[in-house]
Amino acid sequence: MTRRIRSKISRGSGELAILSLLAEQPLYGFEIARQIGERTGGALKFTLASLYPLLYEMEKRGWVEGRWEANHAGRDRRYYRLTPAGRKQLAPLKEEWRNFFRALNTLAGVSHA
Amino acid sequence: MPEPMKPEPVRPDWKQLVGERLAGTQSCSPEVVTELADHLEEVYEGARARGCSETEAERIALEQVNDWQALAAEIGRAKIQEDSMNHRTKTVWLPAIGIVFSFGLLLLFLDRAPVLQRLMWVACMALVLGVVATEASRLNPRTRSIWLPGFVSLVAASLLMFAEEIVMFHDPSFLFTDISLRPSHLISGLPRWFYIVWLLAQVPCGALGAYLSRRGGGTRSARAVAGAFPALIIFFLCGLAIPMSAAVEHNAYVLHHPARLALGIFIWAVVPAVGLLLGAAPFLRAAELQPA
Repeated sequence: MTRRIRSKISRGSGELAILSLLAEQPLYGFEIARQIGERTGGALKFTLASLYPLLYEMEKRGWVEGRWEANHAGRDRRYYRLTPAGRKQLAPLKEEWRNFFRALNTLAGVSHA
Repeated sequence: MPEPMKPEPVRPDWKQLVGERLAGTQSCSPEVVTELADHLEEVYEGARARGCSETEAERIALEQVNDWQALAAEIGRAKIQEDSMNHRTKTVWLPAIGIVFSFGLLLLFLDRAPVLQRLMWVACMALVLGVVATEASRLNPRTRSIWLPGFVSLVAASLLMFAEEIVMFHDPSFLFTDISLRPSHLISGLPRWFYIVWLLAQVPCGALGAYLSRRGGGTRSARAVAGAFPALIIFFLCGLAIPMSAAVEHNAYVLHHPARLALGIFIWAVVPAVGLLLGAAPFLRAAELQPA
């Protein structure tokens, strides 16, 4: 597998992970990275370097929007929330990944369940 | 006896650190710096809460970014495209239009050639600049930081060459073409006052190249190369292309006057390089990015 394909897959999975999380509640960058790591048992990990370019890219596309708000500790953080365009994007993205795993499963017996 | 007080550990200033690492790039907006610094701070505090020492926690936080330059480029790309029209208009189109009109005015004052001809050349140059500027955000970092700014700087310097050609010979062709056909023009083809005006105009050309290179995330050396790009091209043409063409075509003038060719290189490449680098100098001062 070339590095390019790998990078596209990780980018795609990152988009899905972020959109899915933000569909539940608005979160700021560090919380997004922490929750993704925690909820996937460390299988998906975001560092600062991998998270923010993706977040800004998604913001540019209009899928998420960032706004400075105080967090539970009273510190200002940039909270990202899903926009209607992002919510619209989530279902086809999920479907795309379902098809991807189905294809892999058929080919190599790799199941996503 | 009271125990001597231990010095308070110095907490890293994450904002300053991020600001320094992103300095001179488009990613260095206060908002981005604050957001990234907050993230590093939380990673640091998380590590401290797990019992890590300050040094260990700082190391863990810094491991979040392996290559700050790559991060700056990626964020820059996302941010540029986010408000591409505004940003491009402010930083490329307006300066480009300013330069084109300045040179157009110069032509109107100095030239006796037909107005239509002059305007045609100015329009061609504006078109080239426009196409290049439009493509800027899609190019890779080296193209954005060296080739594109260098090309823009070269186009600006070439506009002056066109002006000189039109004024002197009423023939809007590159002076280099003329020089390669008539190498004596290297040192004797133009009045000295005109050479001096052209030389002074190299300063803004160099500044333009270095400024665009800095905008594209260029390192200090990339900015210097972009600023001095027209002189490098002249050096290549005069120092390599003309002697090669002389050797192949047996150009008697070049073959019999190598000292004149050397003087020509000095006049048209070395001295202008000084002017170009003078213009580029203010844009070389910002800190160069260092990988973490």
